[in-house]
Amino acid sequence: MISITIPKLGLTMESAKLLRWNVASGEEVREGDPILVIETDKVTYEVPSPASGMIHPVAPEGKECEVEEVVGYIAMNREEYDRLAARYPAATPEEEPASAAPAHGAAPQSSPPPRGFRVKASPLARAMAEEHGLDLQRVQGTGPGGRIVRADILRALEGKAKEAARRIEGLNEPTDREMSESIPIRGVRKIIFDNMHRSLSQSAQLTLHTEAGAEALVALRERLSGDGRKVSFNAIFVKIAAMALRIHPKVNASVEEGSITVWKQIHIGLAMEANDALIVPVVRRPDAKTIGEIDREIAALILKLRENRLSPDDLANGTFTITNLGFSDIDHFTPIIRPPESAILGVGRIVKKPVVRADSVIPEQRVALSLTFDHRIIDGAPGARFLKTIKDMIEDPLLLIR
Amino acid sequence: MADRLLSCSEALAEALAEEMERDDTVFIIGEDLRAHDGIFGQFKGLPDKYPERVIDTPISETCIVGAGLGAALTGMRPLVDLHFADFFTTAMDEIANQTAKIRYMFGGQAKIPLVIWAPDGGGLSAAAHHSQSLEAWFVHTPGLKVVVPSEPADVKGLIKTAIRDDDPVVFFQHKKLFAQKGPVPEGEYLIPLGKGDTKRKGRDITVITYSRMVYSCLEAAERLAEEGIEAEVIDLRTLKPFDFEIIAESVKKTYHALVVHEACLTGGFGAEIAARIGEELFDDLDAPVKRIGAKDVPIPFSPVLENFVLPQVGDIVKGAKHVLNRA
Repeated sequence: MISITIPKLGLTMESAKLLRWNVASGEEVREGDPILVIETDKVTYEVPSPASGMIHPVAPEGKECEVEEVVGYIAMNREEYDRLAARYPAATPEEEPASAAPAHGAAPQSSPPPRGFRVKASPLARAMAEEHGLDLQRVQGTGPGGRIVRADILRALEGKAKEAARRIEGLNEPTDREMSESIPIRGVRKIIFDNMHRSLSQSAQLTLHTEAGAEALVALRERLSGDGRKVSFNAIFVKIAAMALRIHPKVNASVEEGSITVWKQIHIGLAMEANDALIVPVVRRPDAKTIGEIDREIAALILKLRENRLSPDDLANGTFTITNLGFSDIDHFTPIIRPPESAILGVGRIVKKPVVRADSVIPEQRVALSLTFDHRIIDGAPGARFLKTIKDMIEDPLLLIR
Repeated sequence: MADRLLSCSEALAEALAEEMERDDTVFIIGEDLRAHDGIFGQFKGLPDKYPERVIDTPISETCIVGAGLGAALTGMRPLVDLHFADFFTTAMDEIANQTAKIRYMFGGQAKIPLVIWAPDGGGLSAAAHHSQSLEAWFVHTPGLKVVVPSEPADVKGLIKTAIRDDDPVVFFQHKKLFAQKGPVPEGEYLIPLGKGDTKRKGRDITVITYSRMVYSCLEAAERLAEEGIEAEVIDLRTLKPFDFEIIAESVKKTYHALVVHEACLTGGFGAEIAARIGEELFDDLDAPVKRIGAKDVPIPFSPVLENFVLPQVGDIVKGAKHVLNRA
């Protein structure tokens, strides 16, 4: 018998919320299988199985668990599992207040049977449900022994079509707005919610816009992408921002208890999107690393993000942030500083635009830059000079070795 | 050419006369052929027309089938009349071990253009020794082709093809269908082995059957139609090779399948059909495939008991409704 415990993901982590079990009691799991999802106040994380065997979860979904708390067991064989199951009752989900409150005006939905329940359905009904994206748990079976058959699927699809028709009708009715979904503000969303509000309410933010010629940047990327793998533009931007911060150290600062703290180290966060949430893993000391090293580090962070393996330590102690919206064809925007940092660089798309050179219009790769900084501690002119340094380095990357 | 109404007997006699005219290696060998034109009158006119080529034998199926096999090996195209399919038992070594395997054992050097013609089936109060449906034995013997026609035109088209086939063919004809009449094309008319025939179109359930049960199923389909259930009735006509395409096409439309045969249920050909549907059409099934066959007992002499043992039209109606979950 092996215990499943809540892992300590970072130095400061004390507890985590057990979001959900990916497996049901009695299922066979292999060592390393993602069996459980937990959420700290910073990240959601998939806990791998500590061993192979039959799993028996005991802590309920929704429970706030302390680090090292035992939340389930892995039995080595059936006998051990039976003993475990007899000794520890299986987990049942805790009531979730937010979703338990009926949405005002929303149509009541039949509650699905408990997970792990096998729906009886004819092969044809299964194939049809699959094709139409229908949840068999929500279809009433009228065949022998409650088996779901073709007629039941057709009825369910008809219901769906009617619902759609009603929806179109409803669009033309001057009714009040009705809630379609109530999303609780908690976990990672709560962190973003509080940080963004604190940022705008507690500092004086100002955004400067400019544009840099990106021909040299594109050429640099080509030069650095020798061995088949393309270096990301973000790695180059992180390097450029780090070198510009060395020249303008006062941008690498925080307001702490009534004084300005200028940081010795440069740690640059890179804003990313994951599971409907903003998350900002940090590249440590990029000023002391090569672009290739930075690029590999970013790739590793992205992989961890995708696999829900980012630890709170991966997110801590940033001193500056880069946010890149070029993938959505955005040029200029007004990024919001992540407290306690004092500046953030918004990078737009790299795109060919007409520019005037020697009185003639020529096409040139350009990139839009938006720098937001805290005007309480950084004046307009030094802020502008910092952005100019970045622009110069983009247009002439040789300046990186200045 | 106009179709005339002929009985299954007449269709067989006409087809054999045409084949004997066409190819003088074709001959018939069996018991009581000359005195009665075959015990069901199925060879009417042939003994007079071809006295040398309709040969009476002593009562020994071992000998008759063995003689037919020997003749086929030497280049003749014999049709062996087995009198009753029940008598296969005494010729089983000649059929299963010799006829079915010689072509394979000699690396394809020999052809066996032999037709073993056997009246089968019950419903005549002929008791356990004269009422069996044994097609599953021969389907289960590699090397043999198996034909089970229901209507006169199919008898004609299939017996002509069987005679011209270079492999041994076991050709069953149901005793109760000898007098069954139907339109039959004149002159050359050939039906390939391995092609089924949809005898009735329907959208709700596919009923797969052959031989006499085709008529029971058609009658059941009439009754089902009165209740708004449209059954599609497929007559397989040949069991080996058998036409799975026609079944697949139908089941993909009806999503329900019922297999009906007169042979006893356990180990019957219906099990093979049900298994193939399960394997290849799983996602098209809205209900388990159902089989209807005789009860697993010898066929009784008593008409009341015989009707109880053999599948009846009412059983088929009930079976179809069961598959469709209609009470």
